[in-house]
Amino acid sequence: MIKVDSLKHTFTIGKKDKENRIEVLKGINFNIQSKEIVAIVGKSGSGKSTLLQIIAGFMKPESGSILINNTEIAHFSEKESAAFRMNHFGFIFQNFQLLPGQTVFENIELPLKLKGIGHQVRQKKVQEILKKVGLVEVEDHYPNELSGGQQQRVAIARAMITNPPIILADEPTGSLDSQTEQEILLLIQQLNKNEEITFVIITHDEEVASIANRKLRMSDGFLVGGTQYAF
Amino acid sequence: MLFKDQILFVLQHMKKNKLRVTMTVLATMIGCSFLIVLASVGFGIQETMRNEILNQEQITQIELWGNETLTEEDKKFIEEIEHVNVVLKKESINSTIHSKLEGREGDSNGTFIDISAQKKLPSNLSEGRLPETTNEIVVGFHYAQSLLNETDKAEIERKSKAAQEEGGYYDGADEGYKGEILNKKVELQFFDETAEQYGEPISFTIVGILKEPTYDWYIDSSIVFHDELRNAYPALITSPTTLIYVDSLEHVMPVLDELKEKKYQVYSQVEQLEELDLFFLIFKLGLLFIGTIAILIASIGIFNTMTMAVTERTREIGVLKAIGASPNLIQRLFLMESTFIGLLGTILAIGVSYIISFLANAILPHIVSYALSDENIMNHDITFSMIPLSLVIIAGSISILVAIFSGWRPARKATKIQVIHALRQEL
Ligand SMILES: Nc1ncnc2c1ncn2[C@@H]1O[C@H](COP(=O)(O)OP(=O)(O)OP(=O)(O)O)[C@@H](O)[C@H]1O
Ligand SMILES: [Mg+2]
Repeated sequence: MIKVDSLKHTFTIGKKDKENRIEVLKGINFNIQSKEIVAIVGKSGSGKSTLLQIIAGFMKPESGSILINNTEIAHFSEKESAAFRMNHFGFIFQNFQLLPGQTVFENIELPLKLKGIGHQVRQKKVQEILKKVGLVEVEDHYPNELSGGQQQRVAIARAMITNPPIILADEPTGSLDSQTEQEILLLIQQLNKNEEITFVIITHDEEVASIANRKLRMSDGFLVGGTQYAF
Repeated sequence: MLFKDQILFVLQHMKKNKLRVTMTVLATMIGCSFLIVLASVGFGIQETMRNEILNQEQITQIELWGNETLTEEDKKFIEEIEHVNVVLKKESINSTIHSKLEGREGDSNGTFIDISAQKKLPSNLSEGRLPETTNEIVVGFHYAQSLLNETDKAEIERKSKAAQEEGGYYDGADEGYKGEILNKKVELQFFDETAEQYGEPISFTIVGILKEPTYDWYIDSSIVFHDELRNAYPALITSPTTLIYVDSLEHVMPVLDELKEKKYQVYSQVEQLEELDLFFLIFKLGLLFIGTIAILIASIGIFNTMTMAVTERTREIGVLKAIGASPNLIQRLFLMESTFIGLLGTILAIGVSYIISFLANAILPHIVSYALSDENIMNHDITFSMIPLSLVIIAGSISILVAIFSGWRPARKATKIQVIHALRQEL
């Protein structure tokens, strides 16, 4: 499903004359099978988020290859990346990233709107998802009227509304207390099982890592620990 | 994204920033109405002047000049040009004609007119009929007024002096022959060029009176003679002109062109109309240019509003991009917003301009006539401001194009926003 090969990335920071190069990814290789839950763990600053952002197409890698269902996406244009994301990825962020001016319903509906799906189908799909994530009562609320756990449920609902095969999550429970974290993890496990969605989750929380089929450990720009490949 | 959803999305955003959007729409409206109202003055004055020219009866008439009188051959040729109705030969006498009636005297310009051609034209008489014989004449509207005796002359001199002291002039309207002159007999003397003095008086009967001239300052005391009378005075020096009457306004130019091609010297008011139109085209372009500056100022407002909108929505743009919105879509959404603002402002401006234009036409004549203390202005049909559809289309397009253009850079800026930077922004 996902195959990453010798992925390298370097940030250049500071002013032009005093450039500082940080090699964040020094050659990453791994694969992920369909229906897996994979956790990416590692110290802060080890490059976890950078890896995920490159896979998502938010930025271009310096070199290397990323195959998603046998499509090479590492060198897509911005437009191609956007179109690809729309059909293959859902995203969950630590700070939810909901649109404050839109209701729960509208937030979840947004990806369908972007895809150009008509009003009636959208209504039906959003209602279905609202049931799945347990948000039927709050569909007309605005994000700032919800608890953190509820907001993250909205984000998850938004991520899966277009039935993407893969959901990429960067610290999905990082802003939640441990009880709420448990609820979200349960939801992720359910979706993985019932909807057959592949999850790639960045975390430094052992609880979160424990629901994963596999852990990829990042250290100093490499993946270490010998669990990079699943067959 | 469906077009309908794009519109709803944009409207939702505009609603959220009601105050700012309203002010920007207002600025656009003011700019655009300024443009329309300014240019409408050009259209209005042009319309007034055009009407002035078109209202003259001579508008379908072409004047033919030349020192020689028109030969029968020429006349025939011209008469056969398509759309030419009548060819009227005229000879105006270079010397004045001296009139005497019941102890009063006056001097007039005289003209021999081809009566048979004149009869084919709509009547130019206010009373009476055209001459049938050589001893019948038609006189100008003010002919009676021009016949004066000694007391009248003294009176006019006195009134003229008084008027001059006040910076005006006196036209002699109160003096002259007061009785009915139709069917009166007058004694006329032609100037004898060889003897260099006026000849013997000859008696003529006034059978008709011409209409009042269109210009109210024009005093018409002329005399019209039957063309056959010309043969009796071969020595008289005259200036011949020929008037060619075309059936309608739009056929004047083609006939004119054909005559020019045949090297006739011609003149028509229609040519004046074309020159007038050219002048006003340039004039109106100048006004449009000045008015466009107002719109450009308004466009700075749109630019500001859109730039702020993009900055405010950076995070939202990031989210949209993250879930798959293409840069094109982002750009389109912002362009639509600035277009809406431009469109709204323009539509309002069109309404406001029509109201201002209407009020200007209703109120300005009163103010002007009061300021000049001249009642006559009220009687004239003066258009101060006119908004034809073409002006609405031109000004509307300028305004909307400028709005789109000023939204362009902010919209481009929105597409350049990077997802990772945008999402890192805190709420
Ligand atoms: N846009 C950027 N420009 C320059 N340097 C960056 C940029 N993004 C990340 N970095 C650097 O790259 C390194 C890896 O950052 P990254 O965010 O991937 O780490 P992380 O593993 O996700 O850490 P954390 O667990 O704290 O989220 C850090 O040293 C960071 O300073
Ligand atoms: Mg991180």
